[in-house]
Amino acid sequence: MIFAQNSVSGKVTDEYDIPLPGANVTIDSRQKGTQTDFDGGFTLEVYPGDVITISYLGYIKQTIPVGDKTKFIIKLKEDVSALSEVVVVGYGTQKKAILTSAVSQVKGEDLAKEPVLNAAQALQGKASGVLVMASDAPGQASTVIIRGLGTVQGGRDPLYVVDGVLTDNINNINSADIESLNVLKDAASLAIYGNRGANGVVMVTTKKGKSGKMVLNFDTYTGFRDILSRVEMANASQYVTYSNEALRRDYLTDNDPTNDDSTFGFIPTNQKYDTNWLDEITQQGLVSNYNLSASGGSDNVKAFFSAGFNEERGVLLNDEFNRLTLRSNVDYKISDKIDFSHNVGVQLASGSPQNYGLFTSAYKQAPIIPVRDENGAYGSSTSLNSVANPAVDAGNEFKKDKNKFFKIQGAFKLDYEIIEDLTFTSRFSIETEYGRFYAFRDRLGNFLAQNPFNTESSFEGDSENPAKTRLTVTHTNTYRWFLDNYFTYKKTFNEKHTLNATLGITSEENRSELLSATRNNVPLDPNLNFNLNTGDEDDTQLNSGALSVVDRLYSYIARVNYDYKDKYLLGGSFRRDGSSKFQKGQQFGNFYAVSAGWVVTEEKFMANSIFNILKLRASYGELGNQNVPLNVLAATTGSAGFYPFGQNQDLQQGITITGTIQEDLTWETTNEFDLGLEFTLLNYRLSGELDFYRRLNTNATLQIELPDIIGFDPFNSHVGEIENKGIEFALNWKDNIGEDFKYNVGFNVSYNENKITKVTNPFFSEQLGGFINNGQYTKKVAVGQPLGSFYLYDIEGIDDQGDFVYKDLNDDGVIDESDRAYFGSYLPKFFGGFNLGIQYKQFDFGVETFANVGNKVYNGKKAQRFGNENIELLNFNSRYTTGRPSNTTPRAFNNVPLSSTYYLEDGDFFRINNITAGYTIPMKNNSFFNTVRIYATAKNPFVFQKFTGFSPELSGDPLGNAGIELDAYPTLRSFYIGLNTSF
Amino acid sequence: MKTILNRIKKISLVTVLSLLGLQSCSENFIDVDSNQETEDALTPDSAPELVNAIYNSFLSWEMSSFGWTGLTSIASDDADKGSIPSDTGADKDLLDALTITPTLLSAAEVWRGHYDGIQRANQAISRIPKFEMDANLQTRLLGEARFLRGLMYFRLVQTFGGVPLISEVTSVEDINEDILSRKTKEACYLFIEEDLLFAIDALPLKSEYPAAQLGRATKGAAQTLLAKVSMYQSKWDDVLALTEAVMQSNEYGLTPNYEDIWKEISENNIESIFEIQARGNEPAAGVDKYSTIQGARGEGGWGWGFNTPSEDLEKAYSPNDQRKDATIMFAGETLFDGRVIDINAPNPRYNQKAYSSILTESEQTGKNIRILRYAEVLLMNAEAKSILGGDVATPLNAVRLRAGLTAATDLSTLAIWEERRLELAFEHDRYFDLVRQGRASEVLNSKGIPFVQGKHEVFPIPQEQIDISGGALVQNPNY
Repeated sequence: MIFAQNSVSGKVTDEYDIPLPGANVTIDSRQKGTQTDFDGGFTLEVYPGDVITISYLGYIKQTIPVGDKTKFIIKLKEDVSALSEVVVVGYGTQKKAILTSAVSQVKGEDLAKEPVLNAAQALQGKASGVLVMASDAPGQASTVIIRGLGTVQGGRDPLYVVDGVLTDNINNINSADIESLNVLKDAASLAIYGNRGANGVVMVTTKKGKSGKMVLNFDTYTGFRDILSRVEMANASQYVTYSNEALRRDYLTDNDPTNDDSTFGFIPTNQKYDTNWLDEITQQGLVSNYNLSASGGSDNVKAFFSAGFNEERGVLLNDEFNRLTLRSNVDYKISDKIDFSHNVGVQLASGSPQNYGLFTSAYKQAPIIPVRDENGAYGSSTSLNSVANPAVDAGNEFKKDKNKFFKIQGAFKLDYEIIEDLTFTSRFSIETEYGRFYAFRDRLGNFLAQNPFNTESSFEGDSENPAKTRLTVTHTNTYRWFLDNYFTYKKTFNEKHTLNATLGITSEENRSELLSATRNNVPLDPNLNFNLNTGDEDDTQLNSGALSVVDRLYSYIARVNYDYKDKYLLGGSFRRDGSSKFQKGQQFGNFYAVSAGWVVTEEKFMANSIFNILKLRASYGELGNQNVPLNVLAATTGSAGFYPFGQNQDLQQGITITGTIQEDLTWETTNEFDLGLEFTLLNYRLSGELDFYRRLNTNATLQIELPDIIGFDPFNSHVGEIENKGIEFALNWKDNIGEDFKYNVGFNVSYNENKITKVTNPFFSEQLGGFINNGQYTKKVAVGQPLGSFYLYDIEGIDDQGDFVYKDLNDDGVIDESDRAYFGSYLPKFFGGFNLGIQYKQFDFGVETFANVGNKVYNGKKAQRFGNENIELLNFNSRYTTGRPSNTTPRAFNNVPLSSTYYLEDGDFFRINNITAGYTIPMKNNSFFNTVRIYATAKNPFVFQKFTGFSPELSGDPLGNAGIELDAYPTLRSFYIGLNTSF
Repeated sequence: MKTILNRIKKISLVTVLSLLGLQSCSENFIDVDSNQETEDALTPDSAPELVNAIYNSFLSWEMSSFGWTGLTSIASDDADKGSIPSDTGADKDLLDALTITPTLLSAAEVWRGHYDGIQRANQAISRIPKFEMDANLQTRLLGEARFLRGLMYFRLVQTFGGVPLISEVTSVEDINEDILSRKTKEACYLFIEEDLLFAIDALPLKSEYPAAQLGRATKGAAQTLLAKVSMYQSKWDDVLALTEAVMQSNEYGLTPNYEDIWKEISENNIESIFEIQARGNEPAAGVDKYSTIQGARGEGGWGWGFNTPSEDLEKAYSPNDQRKDATIMFAGETLFDGRVIDINAPNPRYNQKAYSSILTESEQTGKNIRILRYAEVLLMNAEAKSILGGDVATPLNAVRLRAGLTAATDLSTLAIWEERRLELAFEHDRYFDLVRQGRASEVLNSKGIPFVQGKHEVFPIPQEQIDISGGALVQNPNY
């Protein structure tokens, strides 16, 4: 019997009635089908007995018998089962359900909730084990530390992999282009990246085009930013009181009784000016962001295009940054067996950087100094202190800086299914970045502005041709390419044994170049002063260039995953990395990992349990960090060797060797053990992960310092062990109450313990660090202590003279270096986040928070205070005076204080990172827009911190400024309003 | 369509195979040659450069600046710490009061700076003899290197007494207790004398150098330094013979006007026997902050105001002595170049010998630092004669008359010592001179400086270096 064909039509939407264009509507029995259009609609010729199947990526498939219906309204439910979820891993993808490694995943849509320039910052508080130390300076990247700091001398940053391109950062990636961010944390997932895996890997996958009608999105936000926590300084009269008290104390304590009553050098009390220097160098910051993207395609070609523009005016005057990003991702289906795709991203950025030391100058500068005096001349403090007038520098009147960056990153990938189950993939990728840096200095103008006693004739003394202005132009270029070729084999035997294997070769080349030139006396005319040719053409020009040694890698990669009915899982991965960085004969290293998992819920006895998924997994492996300082015994030349001879003092070149090398220096090898538990229960509503890990850098590169008499510079050698061990826990709850109210709550916490466990060389130098530019240091590298540990004198209290009393820790009656002790590190012991999302009808609301506990912060700017520099109001009010003794704050003083616990504060903080409220405007079916959402976001609206400075979030070199507030950019509070549209 | 697909298939297969083929046999892909200058860059052509690098180490902060000034001047009765009370200059207050301990930063800097320079000298001395090159140049370069090494060891012995003697480039494996331990002062002097005797034979006279090489070590410099080294050992016959040789070489004389000696115009002039060459103009190669640390502080000033001439020194000059005003810049004074020292400067006196008239504010001092000059030869000659007998008056009076004084009436050794103080003030000699003369405690104690006999004749060995040596390095007595 033959039935007549009917034409039926329908519409496919998600649960919230948002149309799903490009969904597949098929009649599987007859291999017919179509795709939904732009509005989610479709029409199809059917027989009454047909069954139509509606599928869409990430949604649960539905099958519906046609019967006699002619109109279908199909709501697809999002697939929350997580069983089908696929995770991007190195050189491939894997099903999350049978993954035997620790991978934190953050979806693009979750990142997009927070308006940030760099997606790494949005990771903060969202992924367990991933410590993000954010910076709010325009264009500045955040610092990411995955599972603790494992190296002192080596590179500390994770490896970033953008669509298969291995790179150093993701500053060039528009967060709106990101489909997902996966953080690989354990050896099982990292070993495939061999000697670059030890610091963890952040995998970035950018969005792909979806077939169906073209969908356009336009998103924008704009807002303003201000300093979140301010430090109140003393005013003019308080400053004068304090300074004079301090000078009096100098006279009383300098062993010269004749000056005890002197008032020489006292600052008069009636002052004309009372300048708030922080106000004078800051303004309200402004941010605008625009993003346009288009996605669409046919069965054979799917394209995604986006253009993003971000513009920021920093809170510090003349600190600006803007960035344009363009992206084109296209997938071609050339035949049934051949796919080709290219992902290309372009970044154009420019900035006018400002000197963050200005925050310290503003903190220190005397309030009695005016920005400009009544004659219009810049205020000068040369008679008081050696702090420059911050407004001169911030005002940019005598300098101009411009940095420009151009970066292209692209991957071209071919997948060829040679036979069924066996695919060959070839990918060629390139990345190149050009930087141009212009720095113009009106040296004479600055000289005259800084000190009223300076005159043009005293500028550079009798120099025949003083450099009144100076321009330095620097060009940099980095370039790298990769060629990856690998086979992927995936097959299930007897419906029980599944094998997934990858095998291949990759090669890579990196190179960088620098060229810099300087000329004096370029004109002041702003149109001319970035042009070197307008400057003096004489031998005072300084040119320098550097061409890096080509850095090449050649590697074999292999991975096998086996599972028995999705229940018993085994995995192994391997990479043999050859790196040109190392001595010939010692270039190849083998890195591997083995892992196993047991999906308990696949067992029969778990059939009726509350668990949907319960998985145990364990992994162990060996990873490397090739980014270590290499011992090239370079000859010392240049300014370290020059010497002038003859009446004309012509420089003659010098050359010498000032060091020695360890020829066997190589990568750092880290062993990592991980034990994990993953669970989903209560009908997929509650899910979580618990991980224990121990990472041991078995041959940490540390500095060796021979006795001075040998005369060699310090050098590096593999002499230590650094351990990180910790626990990570993440829990997510997702549910709805009725049809209209959906919510989710997430919580994660990470604990990490870091320390140097062993050192094997007697000349290991307990490297000092954290110098605060006044002869004082604050940190020391030592066995048994975490990296970046503060090493200080301990304050016992204040004596009856108002002076610090230091603890005599070794009880020898003398306070000296041997009374210092360790007081913790800038690295937190605990950190985590609590996140909440609510959707009620058209309204959405989200809160994201971040907490950081157990780290220490050194108040460097306060400790650096010197004679006649300003003090904090709190310090002024609580200081020891004869009439009002204090047990906590010393009396006014001018000496350089010893580095002590007085300046060390708790870095603990809890911050609301983000509160967003949005409203999606209901659209009529035939309106121009598909969706329109408006929202308002408050970023960092509240912080609860113990630290009395601007920001306890202070990243940097563990032996440098990390955890020390000195020349640091403050944390900002921002308010944005935004719009998301799709049409 | 089918044929196209087939062709694509074939092309793809070929591509796959060729890509893999190309890539798989290329492990030598990672054999990359370095493009950095390494040890291989040290060819015979670079022999002069190896020696230039030793001279360069005299421009360093640690060798020549703050610490060295602190030990040699501030610790003595010629100078006070200076600057403002709250600015201690790390440890200059301790040096001024002579309350020093083994953690003294200045001593650590001087120790390190000198051994860095000695390492550079050892590099040259061990490599140059192996080069096939012009024999005359080879000899001269070795002479320069050994002169400089001798000078550095002499300064170390003056400062610390006997020190470890590192005579060649030492590899990590060679480090042992013997290398790390101190040798006797006598052994050190013997080593220094060998270097300087070699240099005397190897080096040309000052006038034999081409103009463009002015500033290199000369035979005269080596003779003068050896005379000084001999004087420290009371080998008066040698002092006399060597100073006579310099005086009879007709290479040197006195600058007519004392104040001119430290002006830029007088660099390498007739009185100059050896000086650190310094260039302030860009590209600069000057002595790191030598003038800055000693420059006038405060309003209109250009420096940190350390190492200020003491009132005691000021009073030591007789009224007609031109050297007082040439040595001391007074607050309120107008200098020879028109610069005015602010009347309200925090210190009443500053060291004029460190003043750089050109590029005054440059942190790289462009003025040469005078190390050995002819007046000192005359004074050593006079001192030797005062002990051995001979014509003391002629050399002594040459120095006095130039200073605007009359001929000496007192020709005693003590009078020569006083003349040395006034002539050579701030030339990094006073403290060592007092110790050498055996009257340091007497002189310094009388001026309230708590010099302890049996202790302060030498400065403490840096504690950190004793620790790192595992005890092989032994501290000086009573520290």
